Amino acid sequence: MKQAFHLASRYLIWNRGQSLTVMFSLAVMIWIPLTVRMALHQFEREIAARGKATPLVIGARGSRTDLVLHTLYFEAPPAETVPWSEVDRINQSGLGTAIPLHLRFRTQPDQAGRSAPLAGTSPEYFEFRGLSPRQGTLPVLLGDCVLGSRFAESSGLQPGDTLLSAPRNTLDLAGDYPLRMNITGVLQESGSADDDAVFIDVRTAWVIEGIGHGHQEVNRETDPSLLLNNTDDQSVTASAAILPWLEITDENRDSFHFHGDLDEFPLTSVIVSPRTEKQRVLILGRYADSGSRLHCVRPPQVINELLNVVFRMEQLIRFASLAAGLVTAALLGLVLRLSLKLRAAELQTLFRLGCSQATILTLQTAEIILLAVPAIAIALTAAAMAADLAGKQLRMLLF
Amino acid sequence: MISLQQLQFHYPAGGFRLQIPTLQIESGEHTAVAGPSGSGKTTLLNLLAGILVPETGSVAIGHTVISALPEAQRRLFRLQQIGQVFQDFQLLDYLNVLDNILLPCRIHPSVQPTTALRERAVTLLDQVGLAALAQRSVTRLSQGERQRVALCRALLLSPRLVLADEPTGNLDPDNARRMIQLLISETDRSGATLITVTHDHSLLAEFRRVIPFDSFLRQEATG
Repeated sequence: MKQAFHLASRYLIWNRGQSLTVMFSLAVMIWIPLTVRMALHQFEREIAARGKATPLVIGARGSRTDLVLHTLYFEAPPAETVPWSEVDRINQSGLGTAIPLHLRFRTQPDQAGRSAPLAGTSPEYFEFRGLSPRQGTLPVLLGDCVLGSRFAESSGLQPGDTLLSAPRNTLDLAGDYPLRMNITGVLQESGSADDDAVFIDVRTAWVIEGIGHGHQEVNRETDPSLLLNNTDDQSVTASAAILPWLEITDENRDSFHFHGDLDEFPLTSVIVSPRTEKQRVLILGRYADSGSRLHCVRPPQVINELLNVVFRMEQLIRFASLAAGLVTAALLGLVLRLSLKLRAAELQTLFRLGCSQATILTLQTAEIILLAVPAIAIALTAAAMAADLAGKQLRMLLF
Repeated sequence: MISLQQLQFHYPAGGFRLQIPTLQIESGEHTAVAGPSGSGKTTLLNLLAGILVPETGSVAIGHTVISALPEAQRRLFRLQQIGQVFQDFQLLDYLNVLDNILLPCRIHPSVQPTTALRERAVTLLDQVGLAALAQRSVTRLSQGERQRVALCRALLLSPRLVLADEPTGNLDPDNARRMIQLLISETDRSGATLITVTHDHSLLAEFRRVIPFDSFLRQEATG
């Protein structure tokens, strides 16, 4: 066999152009279905793991899939909100831990167009997802934020820098204004959607939304021109000329306050982590009423339904890959046959010298092995490199 | 001694029938088989090499009746005991000079390219004046250099018999004569028997014995 490999390697090196073409055709034939398979499996592992790690999600009644994808992957928020009172209700009932999520804003795009979702939540979220800071600290104060590891890497931002929120509608002068936030830390990489997000306290999210705000001090003494006519002894009413703060600093932090009833403050969803199976069933029962404005969904179940769709797609891709593979194999077979015809004189010489048909077959097998082994190695390496990217692209494509 | 007795052979497709009542060639003899193209000279070489098997009669090389051996043994016998020089030399373009000479020991599991064989290949190259070209690609050799490489390949395993099939077929008269002289001198040196097939009558004077081949041939009507 050693001699066969010697002769085969000499032949392939001599015909290097043809050999490389066949090798890369083989590599591509193996690489495409392999990458699809690896990407789908990675995608499945990733989303199934995040789904399983999120027992229950409460949100406004509507699409279960949208609610789960919003909560797990920070996708577009549901049209309706969940009042803060639901968080208190769950926590006070003792049925589990409720973690608020407010996800209606993004960071302002940088010059490269990079922007991250701004996830308003409570400190329990970091504990629940096992997230800890790689640099700096978690957000503690109003106006603080912590960056997901991938976003930090791509944006080049670090603790001590500041970050602006993006207004939802730049043409709406009465809408939300950008808030300058202080970056207090960068999270460890988790291999999930958390790496691409920026986390703030839910109260900071409410400030961006305009529910809470800070502004210059107004009273009759400081600047009467800012007060409207209906100002009386009990309260003051300021005009639109009052200067709102666009950055929360140590100096103005105490001036920030919220208007309205905290119980009604909006959240886009609530993650609930019951401690026991019984508690899980009880919580589901509370939101089972079809007349209720809210519903409680089980992300693992929704993710399984999604995966069924993905696997149907995988079958289609597998069939297409098989068809392409068969055509490529047929073409390679044809190339091999034509090559044997071209090499008839050479094979005749070998036979006349005393070479058996079996040895000639061994020579050809050695050539195929020398082409196939690097082709498989190239395909595996390329698949390993591409699968991660393909998995992310697939997630972006689907969600 | 090479001995052919009561040999008859014809191809299934017909064309001609080869009949050799008796033919003996002494060891170390240099013999030319002469005859026009298509007269069956190459068929005779194939019978001597054990590539073809006669319908009746026998082909013996020394004490071995090669025509009676099973195919696998004929192949091994051919590889170890018979050196062959082909028309156009049939060197493999993808191997260098040394690898072309060592080719016979890379195509059968029982013959391996030992250090001794490598040294013999280098010695043969030295003898034909090509030692400096051992690593050169055969595609970069002149016609005369290719002839000598082909001859070295034929002599590598010290064969008892060297069969040369029209080795001067594509050569000009000067090169043809040089090739025949080289064949004779190198086989003389190794003590091998040389049988050369040629249709070039001008070269026959170089050989001690010439067998006119027409006498063994009987034309048959074909359909």
